[in-house]
Amino acid sequence: MNAPLQFDRWERYFWPLLAINITLALWYFSVRWSGTEIFPSPLDVERGMAELVHRGLLWRYTLNSLSRVAFGYVSAVLIGIPAGLVLGWYPAAADMVNPLIQVIRPVSPIAWIPVSIAWFGIGDTAATFLIFLASFFPIIVATMNGVRNVPSMYRCAGRNFGLSPANLIAKVVLPAALPQIVVGLRITLGIAWLVVVAAEMIAVDSGLGYLVIDSRNSGKRYDLVVAAMILIGLTGLGLDIAIRRIEKLKSVRWGFRNEH
Amino acid sequence: MSTRTRILLLVFGWLGLISGLHSYLNVNWAFILNDYLPLEKRKFTVAYIPVTCHLVCPVTDYISKFSKGDEIFLPKMFQGFPEIKEALISNRVQAAFVVAPLAIALKSQGVPIKVVYLGHRYGSAVVVQKDGPIRTFADMRGKVIAIPSRFSDERLILYRAMKAYGIRPNEIKMVEMAPPDVAGALATKAIDAFSMGEPFPSEAEMGGFGRILFHAREYWPDYMSCVLVVRQDMIDRRPEAVQTLVDGIARSGLWLEKGRSYRENAADFVGRFYYNQDPALLRWALTKPLDRVLYNRLAPRKADFDMVRDLMIETGVLKKGIEFDEYVDLRFADHASIKTAWNYEPGSRYAQ
Repeated sequence: MNAPLQFDRWERYFWPLLAINITLALWYFSVRWSGTEIFPSPLDVERGMAELVHRGLLWRYTLNSLSRVAFGYVSAVLIGIPAGLVLGWYPAAADMVNPLIQVIRPVSPIAWIPVSIAWFGIGDTAATFLIFLASFFPIIVATMNGVRNVPSMYRCAGRNFGLSPANLIAKVVLPAALPQIVVGLRITLGIAWLVVVAAEMIAVDSGLGYLVIDSRNSGKRYDLVVAAMILIGLTGLGLDIAIRRIEKLKSVRWGFRNEH
Repeated sequence: MSTRTRILLLVFGWLGLISGLHSYLNVNWAFILNDYLPLEKRKFTVAYIPVTCHLVCPVTDYISKFSKGDEIFLPKMFQGFPEIKEALISNRVQAAFVVAPLAIALKSQGVPIKVVYLGHRYGSAVVVQKDGPIRTFADMRGKVIAIPSRFSDERLILYRAMKAYGIRPNEIKMVEMAPPDVAGALATKAIDAFSMGEPFPSEAEMGGFGRILFHAREYWPDYMSCVLVVRQDMIDRRPEAVQTLVDGIARSGLWLEKGRSYRENAADFVGRFYYNQDPALLRWALTKPLDRVLYNRLAPRKADFDMVRDLMIETGVLKKGIEFDEYVDLRFADHASIKTAWNYEPGSRYAQ
């Protein structure tokens, strides 16, 4: 059996930093050697970032994007988990709506842009709706499958204790399905953040996705385009680290048996 | 046959099939092969979007095929200005029809291009919802209005109208949208108004959901919007090819001004073979009335461009002044001024 690769404490930071620096150096020299007029060098991007900080846009845009993602994602969670619980609990209901879900699910949120404008006009609601759409289906499917995979022994035990159906769902099924649901939630948050750029193409006037579009529209400002891309990446990383903490909660940990 | 060979055969068979079909159905070989021709034989690629401001581009391409038996450039349709700008900067297209302020802004940002000719005069309008709350421009306060780009004359006419009505810049919200999207957005009331080139005002009129509040010329008598720009390296290395292009554009403009039947013919072939729009829509835009868009007097004039530049500085989309001579090359327009209209009758297979 292969021993898992163990890093020393210093190595945990050293190697990733090295990889980042090598990438930056490659980027810098390929821009210089190719003499491209369009693509900015890391230094241009740094100046672009400084400009964003200076104009007070960096925090405002990041917060705006985060709040749009939060609204869309949280509303998807609030509707998706109960709906998933019900569908997982009543297989007949699941059989009825599952084909519909499977048809709507693969449609890219970008394809929804025209419809979303028609329904909600241009602005925050339409953008949030796209994020909601992107999050809703993965959450409902993860919850439904989580509930279906709960061993029937748990349900029987719950029934033997005389739990009402509502109590059975709340006290037995939901906790039992929680590990799988949380994995779904984590993947979905990643998707929601992916969609933010597309969502903010809908004529909103703030946010990191808007920053990409806006910099593109303002002539030759590809330094800001790349700066926005980097900010999107870093914020996404932050979100992932944050949601990983939820997986460490006790009520979830038990589901990951082979971790210690 | 083992399972492995069968899977491999399936995968490669499938790849071969879709690649073959794709190259047969979708790939424009003229464009690809053009890149491998020697420089002096290589054709220009000229970018345009499906608006009547750029109509001379497909008209020239269509008619010149009958006169010379071959196209004099390769037209390439885009859906919005940001894409054209990127293709132009990266030398994927050598010439393009763009809005005049975008040309000025790109030149001032160091992109090596020159304006050589205009695409049209007139032909932009501000459109509001037909039975909506906006009766006069004064009602525009607090409304959302779509423009094609922050670097567009369609935005500048709004500023001219705002000045006349004493409306401050922060009282109107302008959003940038791809021109083909605005009519739909107005129909669904996602926006209150748009300022756009034809045929989108006509589309809103024909569809019965839009009303023209004013035509651009009411606030800008000699209105011009889209111009033909060419990359500097093309001007330096192949001036004769640029001249052929500008001559063709000039002749098409004069041809379009020969009368209603010529415009109707143009609406028909451009709608069907180039813009993928209903010819009836283009017919409306080109003939109701006939001077809704004009294609003569297309030589660039300093006074027009100085006004555009000053408005750009005033409205904050241009940082420092730039002189007419820095971004316009007049010699091609000078030569083109002695040209006559194409000798081409609608439906004929011959042109001169």
